Amino acid sequence: MNRRIGTAEKFSTYLILAFLSIAMIAPFLLMLSISLTSDTSTVQMDFHLIPQEFQFDNYVRVFTTPNIDLGRHILNSLIIVVGSITGQVLVSSFVAFGFARFNAPGKNALFLILLGTMMIPGAVTLIPQFALYRALGWLGTFAPLIVPNFFGGAFNIFLIRQFIVRLPTELDEAAKIDGVGPVGIFWYIIFPLIRPIAVAVAILTFQFNWSWFLEPLLYLQDAELMPLAVAARTLSATTSAGATPMWNLVMVASMLLTVPMLLVFFFGQKYVFEANLSGGSASIK
Amino acid sequence: MAVSQAGLKQARLVTRTRGRLNASRREALWFYLIISPWLVGLLLLLAGPMLYSIYLSFTDWNLFNAPEWVGFDNYIRLFTRDRTFGYALGNTFYYTFLYVPLNIVLSLGIAYLLNKRLPGIRLFRTVIYLPYVVPVVATTMVFRWVFAPDNGLLNSFLALLGIDGPAWLLTPEWVKIALVIMSLWGVGSSVVFLLAGMQGIPAELYEAAAIDGASERQHFFGITLPMLSPVIFFNMIMSIIASLQTFTQVYILNAEPNTPGNAIVMIIPYLFDNAFRFNKMGYASAIAWVLFVIIFAFTLLVIRSSSAWVFYENEMKR
Repeated sequence: MNRRIGTAEKFSTYLILAFLSIAMIAPFLLMLSISLTSDTSTVQMDFHLIPQEFQFDNYVRVFTTPNIDLGRHILNSLIIVVGSITGQVLVSSFVAFGFARFNAPGKNALFLILLGTMMIPGAVTLIPQFALYRALGWLGTFAPLIVPNFFGGAFNIFLIRQFIVRLPTELDEAAKIDGVGPVGIFWYIIFPLIRPIAVAVAILTFQFNWSWFLEPLLYLQDAELMPLAVAARTLSATTSAGATPMWNLVMVASMLLTVPMLLVFFFGQKYVFEANLSGGSASIK
Repeated sequence: MAVSQAGLKQARLVTRTRGRLNASRREALWFYLIISPWLVGLLLLLAGPMLYSIYLSFTDWNLFNAPEWVGFDNYIRLFTRDRTFGYALGNTFYYTFLYVPLNIVLSLGIAYLLNKRLPGIRLFRTVIYLPYVVPVVATTMVFRWVFAPDNGLLNSFLALLGIDGPAWLLTPEWVKIALVIMSLWGVGSSVVFLLAGMQGIPAELYEAAAIDGASERQHFFGITLPMLSPVIFFNMIMSIIASLQTFTQVYILNAEPNTPGNAIVMIIPYLFDNAFRFNKMGYASAIAWVLFVIIFAFTLLVIRSSSAWVFYENEMKR
């Protein structure tokens, strides 16, 4: 749109956007402010949007207080995240390679099934999967959270497949003539070329697993194994004894949960937006 | 000579087709080999569990004894004797049908503003997207202080306008609206899609309209909105499906003693409680399938209705 924008319009646009931005930023600021509040003010629930106190010590205490020990929970989150990313990136791109470059009877039907599975609510498989993992003796381990990623994810397969389809086939053909097998073609030619989309998948997998709540809550059971998201909420729960939670420390946990997401967003937004938009709006060829 | 030429050609054709047949069979084999991890996962983690879940929904199972067949009892009970399930259904619909339209209208408005070529607009784009990346657990915890009755952020702001705000999370009439406001904080994700859609609209359309003397309003309703309708459609389906499955916010708030439980309980949290707190696995499976049917029905409804309001550019060419 190249039309000229008048002063009045400019002013009203900025005014609305400024108001919206304040509304968007305020909860972040409140989180930060509460996280820096002293214990005394916390007990009185004396919180302010603009920080009045600067108890940076809160950020140390969550690591040194034995029954809080967020370091442990951050490590748990990292184990789940790294395991999931490894599985999703490797397996989803391999399967996507199959869908993009090979022909076989039944392929189109399988691709439709793949798309269809994205619509199935997780609720219908939650209970049988719980029974399955229980029978396998996986409850109380990270296995139910990590292993399924090594079967690939439908959305990721779809995203990567859309990307591979647009790559020229000359390199594959040349390698094939040189006697390179399909696995070699994937590993030496396709995989290096799909780096942008693989990064996007890694970021999306990070975002999902870092904030994941329901399944970790269900499968890990042992408080020691909980990832940060679940541990943060445990910290915020009013105990049966009626003691109010230490909201300043709860907000430290929330900050620790939020900041990595922001960092990953800032460094990875380019990849994710491109992937999401091409996947979301691309027609299926 | 001519005959042998033709014969040679035919022979070559035969060998080539045979070679191609072998090659295509080998290619098919490779295809299935390569996609086998997904295929195994599909059977083991999706298809198998789905079938088992249908069976479970017709049984009474506490996870420890063998499942006991009860026919349609679970389903009948859900719709005739279970008050809480009624609340869960009602709350889920209320939340979904308040949030989804508001989200669309709000994201359209914001995307419209952010699409203007003004200095500093990129900064606003980033700021408005940011809340979306905050994990729901953290959002829920900080919003308890946004919604605090006396010195909460929202009520302090409303007090500036002379409005006496309610105890958002503690009163049945307001708690769902509070949930909607909390979700709308993450409106940025829809904005990004719409904005990308807007930027993809060819400038010629606006130029042509401008020559015809179309007003700004006519530009928006005559060009922008129809051209965006496929993106809105996609967004709408995804947000309906996600909203119907709301869990984390409700679970966290519901664990608090002062939360009006019946006013906030939703389908998935109720399923979770039945399955993993009361060990009623069969009953919970029935809830899962009711939800499946609801999601399926709404998705179908939106898709069916789409021919009336979604505009695809390539339809023009037919």
